[in-house]
Amino acid sequence: MELKLIRPELLTMTAQELRALYPILILVIGSLLAIVLSVIKLLSPKFSVFFTTVLVSVAAGLVALDFFGAPPVPLFNHMMVVDPFSTFFTVLFVGALLVSCLVSFRYLDREKIQHPEYYILMLFSVIGMILMASSLDLIVLFIALELMSLSVYVLVGFRRADRRSNEAAIKYFILGSVASAILLYGAAILYGCTGTMNLAEILPILSRSPEVQGPLFVVGMWLVVVGFLFKVASVPFHMWMPDIYEGAPTPVTGFMTSGIKAAAFATFLRVLFSLGYGKAMTEAIQVNVHDLLWVIAVATMVVGNLIALTQTNLKRMLAYSSIAHTGYLMIGLLSGHKSEFGYAPIAMYLVGYSIMNLGAFALLSMVGGREDHGLNLQDFSGLGKREPWLAFAMSVFLFSMAGVPPTAGFVSKYFLLYGAVQAGEVPLVVIAVLCSAVSVYYYLRVLVYMYMKDPVGAPSGSRHSLWAGAALTAMVVLTLQVGIMPARLFEMARVALASF
Amino acid sequence: MDWFNQHLLTCLVFVPLVWGLVSLAFPAQGEGARKLFFAWALVGSVIAFAISLVLLNQYDPHGAEFQFVEKAPWIVNLGIHYQLGLDGLSLWLVMLTTFLMPIVILASLLAVEEKFKGYFFLLLFLESGMLGAFVVTDIFLFYVFWEAMLIPMYFLIGVWGGKQRIYAAMKFFLYTMVGSLLMLVAIFYLSYQHKVQFGAFSTDILSLYKVQIPFAGFSSPQALLFLAFALAFAIKVPLFPLHTWLPDAHVQAPTSGSVILAGVLLKMGGYGFMRFAFPLFPQAVAYFQVTFLTLGSIAIIYGAFVAMVQPDIKKLVAYSSVSHMGYVIIGLFSLNAVGVTGAYYQMLNHGISTGGLFLLVGMIYERRHTREISDFGGITKVMPVFAVAFMIITLSSIALPGTNGFIGEFMILLGTWKANKAAAVVSGFGVIFGAIYMLWMFQRVMFGKVTHEANRHLKDLSIREMAVLAPLIVAVFAMGIFPMYFFNKLEPSIDRFIQRSAGAITFSSDVR
Repeated sequence: MELKLIRPELLTMTAQELRALYPILILVIGSLLAIVLSVIKLLSPKFSVFFTTVLVSVAAGLVALDFFGAPPVPLFNHMMVVDPFSTFFTVLFVGALLVSCLVSFRYLDREKIQHPEYYILMLFSVIGMILMASSLDLIVLFIALELMSLSVYVLVGFRRADRRSNEAAIKYFILGSVASAILLYGAAILYGCTGTMNLAEILPILSRSPEVQGPLFVVGMWLVVVGFLFKVASVPFHMWMPDIYEGAPTPVTGFMTSGIKAAAFATFLRVLFSLGYGKAMTEAIQVNVHDLLWVIAVATMVVGNLIALTQTNLKRMLAYSSIAHTGYLMIGLLSGHKSEFGYAPIAMYLVGYSIMNLGAFALLSMVGGREDHGLNLQDFSGLGKREPWLAFAMSVFLFSMAGVPPTAGFVSKYFLLYGAVQAGEVPLVVIAVLCSAVSVYYYLRVLVYMYMKDPVGAPSGSRHSLWAGAALTAMVVLTLQVGIMPARLFEMARVALASF
Repeated sequence: MDWFNQHLLTCLVFVPLVWGLVSLAFPAQGEGARKLFFAWALVGSVIAFAISLVLLNQYDPHGAEFQFVEKAPWIVNLGIHYQLGLDGLSLWLVMLTTFLMPIVILASLLAVEEKFKGYFFLLLFLESGMLGAFVVTDIFLFYVFWEAMLIPMYFLIGVWGGKQRIYAAMKFFLYTMVGSLLMLVAIFYLSYQHKVQFGAFSTDILSLYKVQIPFAGFSSPQALLFLAFALAFAIKVPLFPLHTWLPDAHVQAPTSGSVILAGVLLKMGGYGFMRFAFPLFPQAVAYFQVTFLTLGSIAIIYGAFVAMVQPDIKKLVAYSSVSHMGYVIIGLFSLNAVGVTGAYYQMLNHGISTGGLFLLVGMIYERRHTREISDFGGITKVMPVFAVAFMIITLSSIALPGTNGFIGEFMILLGTWKANKAAAVVSGFGVIFGAIYMLWMFQRVMFGKVTHEANRHLKDLSIREMAVLAPLIVAVFAMGIFPMYFFNKLEPSIDRFIQRSAGAITFSSDVR
């Protein structure tokens, strides 16, 4: 190897590139610091690691927010890019991290699993998510995906003494690995067809020479798409989700509904776009992909909502509701290229959805008893009387999930479905609204228990964690704030999606 | 003061809500809680009524367009503005709302036994929602208020209702939700058509009126859009065969809920037809005219028959609502000035008379804790004042000349006769059936011997209850004897409405 092969621009970094990397750098340094702190018994790791994580996530979030709107910065020989799109999602992931940490603190004490590794794993998985959203290369994407998934597999099984938690972790690990393998196989085939791993290069190749899009390309593309469909839990690849959502520690479930779902969708979006969906695909493939996604979207909405109707455990119910929301998001995914809004409603929906789910799971972690008992519908009887503020917060989240104004859930759905109508998907939108009318039933049933039934047992009298309370309040405020003033968020989503 | 004059409608809409929010800070426990929240809510609703009187006073009766207009950018990227305006169509419904609200609150001093804070807060919240829906001129904002209104009503029925309250509340919410979600899809389509035709997103009602939607029979866009809107409003009215939520909701709701439901919420459906469905889709309206006249006539007759056999007074009144709101539908779909004015007037009448009936039923229920007709009899002797009030409201409900009901039903039948003779004849019978079931009920409850010991010592109306009923009785006669006062402010807006909606109707020569 001769010296001249080394390209100096790959070894140096401009100030702008460094700035673009700040959020990731802060998180990496933070997690290293947390590892060190976790062995310094003198400082009580419980507090030092917790505070490090909180401070780091706040710092990373602010830095990312500050960088938002700057022109895209390609990094590491175009292996990844920091553009408004990835920055937008960085803020979302870091927000999810912050809320989940605040909620976990007391929860881990209660479950007697207060180990510093918990926060460190969360930091790792958020780094993975950010890398996923900013990767431009299928290899980097895969590594980032694994970084995120492996951390979360462990988090899901963090309640080691609980069999359900263990079962969930094993299930998630096995099924998740299968999905990753499928994705990887698809990526390999795509490389074989197009001769590149770089997402930014695939699109020009596809439009320049449509003959690349032979049967092999279709197989590779479908394998990649199926890998993502698995990650976002759309029917028929949704089976893993309810068990895992139920078995995981409650704050981790909240973290998964927001962070993982957003990361998977963000990457799905970028990959689907790069594979030429709505842009460079040949007519036949385009129609094929569109129709299949259409069917999957409908199946996801219908199955998710119908099964959620019969659930009595709140965590499980929210898991199925999460599947249903995946269905709504699929609508945005398959119609975005034809609507005036583009894919912006998806980004907005993911934010709105994350806010209300983080809030709802924060609340479940506060209300639930040891080993996650007390999360059945009956346990919510008379919550309105026992804990008026918690019940109020829960009502806000539930109305938001049901899409009742003036909440974040309503405006997100409004933008999403409006975009789909612009793309001419009226029948799909009609199905979606009918499904969401069905969903009103199971969301409202929780309200029935909270407000219209008499309390069971005596008030627990336990004081709630201040941290979790603060996170919960913030989520209530954000749900209403986005619901009443959505223009700014939508504009941000638009800027984010304009970058590719 | 200047700011107040420029933002009259904003003040009107948000004063009750803000007033209610303040009350959330008060301590909920203790002896005085009931009186405290009651008095606070009463003052709040009276303030809203006062603001609406200012509006009534400043309203220019010659204007056909929106007055007191307020406009502020909201979600600019979608052309959504916070905009309010008042025209003749909204004016009287706003007045009805602010007029009924203090009455309802006054009547519910003893209606609930617990959770006073939540109860009175929700009433104020509901008032804000209803007023908002009547005065907005932006369809997105309308949808927000239309849906937000469900939340307090859901809780009022579900928390303070009767035995089957949860079932009734859920049914109420789901019915309305299904209708309104389909309307939402239609709103998307419509406002996107505005973008296609005029190059900008808009949800302003007046701009949307200009959008041309192709019409060619049943499965054309315009017809489907009309049906989506009509479904939402027909459920709310409620029109046969979508009325089945109403008896449950009415019977299970606390008195205040029933009064507001009958008095104002059902009017939201009629108002929706007038504000949106008709002017937006004139050709579809013409196409479906006969269908809706038929459904309206069926509702009138069917509601009357079902009401006749009800053993429960409240249920009887609920079915009479179905019948009476059928008149509103046929009046609207007659699509001529007389019929539409009558329909509008009938909405106000129904608010007063059915609201009154529910209050009366509530009063007697508070005394006897039963609503079965067979548990009563000879009440006139024990409660003479109550009997007089009941009589007057009953007569108003069956449209005796001199009361408000007569004006409305007469005009509706007149208008319908011009449009469709068969519908007029059929619904004419409804008037007779209405008299039968109401008077028969009245006779069984009030006249005859006192058959139940428990009825022998019922207390007559208290001063507070008289104060509740007096304004309604005054309104019954005022509206029956001086209808022109109301019509004057209504006429220009109705004419404009007809102009927009009936363009596609071809009248036979003898009508014009």
